[in-house]
Amino acid sequence: MRSLGISVLSLTLTTIVIANAYYQKKQFYPSVVYITKSNPSMAVIYIQAFICVLIVGKIMRKIFFGQLRSAEFEHLMERSWYAITETCLAFTVFRDDFNPKFVALFTLLLFLKSFHWLAEDRVDYMERSPVISLLFHIRVLSLLLLLGSLDLHFIQHAYQSTVSKGASVQLVFGFEYAILLTVVINIAIKYALHSVDLNSETPWDNKAVFLLYTELIMGFIKVILYVAFVAIMVRIYTLPLFAFRPMYYTIRNFKKAFSDVILSRRAIYNMNTLYPDATPEELQAADNVCIICREEMTTASKKLPCNHIFHTSCLRSWFQRQQTCPTCRLNILRTPTSNNNEPRQDQRHRQVPPPNPFFNPFGGQNPFQMFGQNNQPQPQAQPAAAGAPSGAQNATNAPQANPNIPPFVFPPFPFMPFMAPPPMPPPNLQSLSPEELRRMEGNERQNVEARIQCLRNIQVMLDAAVVMMQQYSAAAALSSQAPGGEPQPGPSTSGTPPTCNGTTPKSPINLPTSSVINNNVESDSVPSTSTSSETPEATPTESVALTPEEEVRRRRLQKFQQAAEQ
Amino acid sequence: MAGSALRRLMAEYKQLTLNPPEGIIAGPINEENFFEWEALITGPEGTCFEGGVFPAKLIFPPDYPLSPPKMQFTCEMFHPNIYADGRVCISILHAPGDDPMGYESSAERWSPVQSVEKILLSVVSMLAEPNDESGANVDAAKMWRENREEFNRIAERIVRRTLGIPT
Ligand SMILES: [Zn+2]
Ligand SMILES: [Zn+2]
Repeated sequence: MRSLGISVLSLTLTTIVIANAYYQKKQFYPSVVYITKSNPSMAVIYIQAFICVLIVGKIMRKIFFGQLRSAEFEHLMERSWYAITETCLAFTVFRDDFNPKFVALFTLLLFLKSFHWLAEDRVDYMERSPVISLLFHIRVLSLLLLLGSLDLHFIQHAYQSTVSKGASVQLVFGFEYAILLTVVINIAIKYALHSVDLNSETPWDNKAVFLLYTELIMGFIKVILYVAFVAIMVRIYTLPLFAFRPMYYTIRNFKKAFSDVILSRRAIYNMNTLYPDATPEELQAADNVCIICREEMTTASKKLPCNHIFHTSCLRSWFQRQQTCPTCRLNILRTPTSNNNEPRQDQRHRQVPPPNPFFNPFGGQNPFQMFGQNNQPQPQAQPAAAGAPSGAQNATNAPQANPNIPPFVFPPFPFMPFMAPPPMPPPNLQSLSPEELRRMEGNERQNVEARIQCLRNIQVMLDAAVVMMQQYSAAAALSSQAPGGEPQPGPSTSGTPPTCNGTTPKSPINLPTSSVINNNVESDSVPSTSTSSETPEATPTESVALTPEEEVRRRRLQKFQQAAEQ
Repeated sequence: MAGSALRRLMAEYKQLTLNPPEGIIAGPINEENFFEWEALITGPEGTCFEGGVFPAKLIFPPDYPLSPPKMQFTCEMFHPNIYADGRVCISILHAPGDDPMGYESSAERWSPVQSVEKILLSVVSMLAEPNDESGANVDAAKMWRENREEFNRIAERIVRRTLGIPT
């Protein structure tokens, strides 16, 4: 409605200007001269021309696109703003040949650009809608034809102008239209691929690969165009700042397409060499639905080392993004080939327990929990040790946590299970020989399993700590003992394990690794707190000077206690 | 044949229509475009959001289900894990590797195993139990921690507003 008002107003103004000129000069030619000489009149005429362009744009949009979807419109607006800014930057380079014709050419360029963007969005939309009408095809085809021929025409024009008159602003236009032509070609290829897919009876598995290579090739052409353009501009004029943003995005997209192609190739290679095709029996045994596309698996399915089965094509597109099993997140790239034949039944039960924030308060800010933690979960801790033979030797750091250390009771090393009495503890990680380290790397899977087990144990311990804490607070309330006194472990924890006694932490080497588990398990604790307060002399009281992090933890602990009491 | 993303979204829509989870309605805004959904989420019982009906919008990427959708409440919300503009920040909506909070484990991240239904159920449980570690709405997180009565009061006002009851 508002745009209609503006159009009418502008039309009225133009009529007045022309009528006034004609009234004063009475003849056609003098009137034209009069209008061009008068700045206000020219301003009105320019505005009118601009509005005419907008109206033509609207009409063309109606013809070729019908109603724009809101996402398309937002996209268009956003890109227009960048394009207008860049056009203004381009004006600064060519300020010498600044004239109305020049402005008109840039407006036309912007105008055509916006249609390219819309066409791009529209063709992408083909994948999103179940109903693609005949009108859609007619519109897209005719638009692509029109845009392609216009681009070609302007490239040719720019080329001839540059050849005959030397370098001018036409260089920019030639280049811009060349870029737009690549866009048109890209859209046309995509459109063709989508159309073929839409008309085929069965899913077309290789479409994704074709799209990927189209992206790569077109990206490469664009990068070459941009580099050539910048090189020419630098030689003739100056650094074309206005081309930098699109150039940056083009290069980034190309890089992405390139790495996508590499990842895709690697995924295909891995799938073809490492993983066997699922046999019909296996498909029968499983529930036969591919978890990626939620469709039945009848053909071309692959079995991963973890026994999960997917469509080959679904897996391929997923592996382009991540090299993990979609179901259990097993890292397939790190899995050695030999694992291929082993049964991996256990893997599906191996999901990392999600870190529940409510466990975090027990990141161990006081020694009392420590007693409870190290006592109760011992039974669970043992299997973990068995599961990680290579990690077991390093287990020392875990139980070494001193009751005097306020903040850090977790095993600082992820590979370490909570082995209550550690076998022959080496003083710290520095004592690991290179062989030992290498063995750990080789046993990636086992280490991961040990880590997961370790996290489970932590969870059990945290549960235990909750119980401990409740017992402790009950005991404290009963005996009206000062909470800052000597640690009073709950009744069930009379036997303090040897691991908790007096071993001083070997801190420096532990810290980096401890921060790893810290991030994984405890969302809030900050590794540095362990350094700051890891002094053996610190008395096991709660009155130790608190860092802000500890404050937060303490507060959350209290919150949890309250919740537990209720 | 339609693309795989579209086919999966249609399958999920069918599933959600046939077996709707309690308190959740979801489907495409317009059946010509299956990549924009709207959802209505009922506030979980026994929480400060009880009784509210919260409209939200889900935008799916072209490569769904390989990438997660984006979810945004279209009504006013005040919650530690919801940005002021309504965008929802929970780990299931993030692919592993893209980590706004820096601590979420990959187990609860997006993978094609997840689905619209699981997302919406996660959002319901997020409404019931905010994670005040997340920085999506710092004010709400702080209030949730320190001034629960005030938080509940604001939540109640929002609930009333979603129901069209004057506050
Ligand atoms: Zn599949
Ligand atoms: Zn798996």
